[in-house]
Amino acid sequence: MPDLVIRNLHANITGTDTELLKGIDLQMSKGEIHAIMGPNGSGKSTLSHVLMGHPGYEVTEGEVLFEGQNLLDLAADQRSRAGLFLSFQYPFAVPGVTVANFIRMAVNAHRKGGPDGVDNPVRIPEFRKQIQEAMELLEIDKSMASRSLNDGFSGGEKKRFEILQMAMLQPKIAILDETDSGLDIDALRIVSDGINRLVGPNMGTLIITHYQRILDYVKPDQIHVLMDGRIVRSGGAELAHELETSGYADIAKEVVS
Amino acid sequence: MTAWLDERRQQAAESNEVLSVPSLSDEHWRFTSLRGIDFATYAATVDAVPGEPQGAILAEGEHAGRIVMRDGGVVLDEFSPEVAAQGVVFGSLKRLAEEHSDLVEPVLGTIVGYDEKFAAENGALWTDGLLLHVPAGVKVALPFHAAYEIATAGAAQQWRVIISLGEGAEATLVEEHLKGEPGYANGVAELVVAESAHLTYVVVQDRNNASLHFAAHRAEVAKDATLEWAACSTGSKTGKTRMETRLTGEGSTGRLSAVYVVDGKRHLDLDTTQEHDAPNAVSDLAFKGVLLDDARSVWRGVIRVAEGAHGTDAYQENRNLLLSPKARADSIPGLEIDTNDVRCTHGATAGPVDPMLRFYLMSRGIPAVEAERMIVEGFLEDALERIPDERIRTALTTAVMRRIPIF
Ligand SMILES: Nc1ncnc2c1ncn2[C@@H]1O[C@H](COP(=O)(O)OP(=O)(O)OP(=O)(O)O)[C@@H](O)[C@H]1O
Ligand SMILES: [Mg+2]
Repeated sequence: MPDLVIRNLHANITGTDTELLKGIDLQMSKGEIHAIMGPNGSGKSTLSHVLMGHPGYEVTEGEVLFEGQNLLDLAADQRSRAGLFLSFQYPFAVPGVTVANFIRMAVNAHRKGGPDGVDNPVRIPEFRKQIQEAMELLEIDKSMASRSLNDGFSGGEKKRFEILQMAMLQPKIAILDETDSGLDIDALRIVSDGINRLVGPNMGTLIITHYQRILDYVKPDQIHVLMDGRIVRSGGAELAHELETSGYADIAKEVVS
Repeated sequence: MTAWLDERRQQAAESNEVLSVPSLSDEHWRFTSLRGIDFATYAATVDAVPGEPQGAILAEGEHAGRIVMRDGGVVLDEFSPEVAAQGVVFGSLKRLAEEHSDLVEPVLGTIVGYDEKFAAENGALWTDGLLLHVPAGVKVALPFHAAYEIATAGAAQQWRVIISLGEGAEATLVEEHLKGEPGYANGVAELVVAESAHLTYVVVQDRNNASLHFAAHRAEVAKDATLEWAACSTGSKTGKTRMETRLTGEGSTGRLSAVYVVDGKRHLDLDTTQEHDAPNAVSDLAFKGVLLDDARSVWRGVIRVAEGAHGTDAYQENRNLLLSPKARADSIPGLEIDTNDVRCTHGATAGPVDPMLRFYLMSRGIPAVEAERMIVEGFLEDALERIPDERIRTALTTAVMRRIPIF
């Protein structure tokens, strides 16, 4: 069975009957690169949030299996420790918590494995070495490790720090929600290299994007088009080029007919 | 020899006679009710009660001087001879009011007058406390420490503090109001910071959950002088703490930081002023609180800019995290500006932990309770990180965090 199996997933805004996801099916495994494209407001971020366990949405139908385990039964922190990662389209500022401390807490939470696990904190010198290496690869200035996470960071900086967290947590499946948006040309290459280094037998990624450019660096095995809460088309890398020239209008017509 | 002292007590006593206990109709007491409190039941204390004070968080380590007041009197009055040799005066106010009336007479009752009920009562009834005087040009690196404790349940403690720094002097005083027994504490602190002097003043209020705590701290800061003031309030049932800063000299600075945690049915009232009486002075107030259960906090803060105080830069912010739906925080900022060319800004917020932020932390594998703890600590850290001394900063962080039971 693929590592991530999404079957007929429906979700509403919590406490309302506004349905945003209207039956999503998608399967992927470690080592694979999938991309989701689709118009603004079609439900891409909603899907990523629902998979991560965002409290603002409730699943009304369908199931999600992660390595055979029912993902929807898990709280967000458990999903993360199980190996799911989300690079947020709009990362949150965490005032008063430094980048280094935040990531160290996250790493230690993973090592502990849960509230009932045994504390097994990473040794500080070892952690420092790891984070410094990861920061160097992402060309992040060392001094930023002592700033409050995302607090006053530029849009592009926030995205780099999402990837830094991914690199430190080493997930099995990473959802990257518009991580390429807001990155300058050099940063896009740096971040893409970072993603490519991690994708392999131990990690697969689901890239949500509006642009062909990141897919030139991180070559997708499959592209899915999400419209109005449904995946309306899936195909190979060529689909991105097709969309780039013709937009979503043609697909919309196809779907209607 | 101390006729002046008796005179001031007399003056205060007369004022105290006339003034009644404030009620909700008094502007400064609109949110703090004293109804039902029978102040007469608290027994006045004059003498010290021997014993070791409990629960101080900053008493360890080396100090330039230490004072411990238990009930009405001072049980420990310690002062480094090397620091004394530099002309510094430190110790029991009761003792030094006589020995050093030259230092006490010009200050006592002149910074905090007798026109307010509790200040008047204290002016009449104070029994002891401390004097710290640092002569011009002397910089004392080691901190001074004072602890106040109610040793006998039902006792009243009337404490009084005078700090005066001469030109260019530097000193740090840490005051701790310890848990002790339930009782009534009322105090006044008068701070004089002369030209180019630098005073660090740290007040930790962790009185008993059933105690009443009233305090009027007021500072006058002269030209180019700096007052670095940090308060940490985790105790007392109710009362009022006034923290007033008057910037009397051009280019003076007042940095006022506070963190507080209020739980149960407790009530905390902080009443501040930032009075700009001279041009180009800077005042910067950041108060942050965490409220649990049915607790309530009130912060009332006014920035007053006198005519001619051009180039004023004044800031005030009060942010509250409500960890219970029944907790409540009231922020009442105020601006009274009588001059042009000033920059005054304020901000106030009260709300629960942002569930989206909690989700963000959890999405990194951090369990819910841990995530909440990090958010609360980070929230307070914003105010705490303003405290330059790391030892004090760490102690205050621990002190506030240990009062949040869910962690
Ligand atoms: N909590 C919410 N309350 C109200 N509407 C919501 C909420 N969350 C999502 N929506 C709406 O659902 C739709 C899908 O939003 P979503 O963020 O998933 O779009 P998206 O595909 O990620 O768009 P973009 O490409 O602009 O990032 C949008 O119309 C959005 O306004
Ligand atoms: Mg989106």
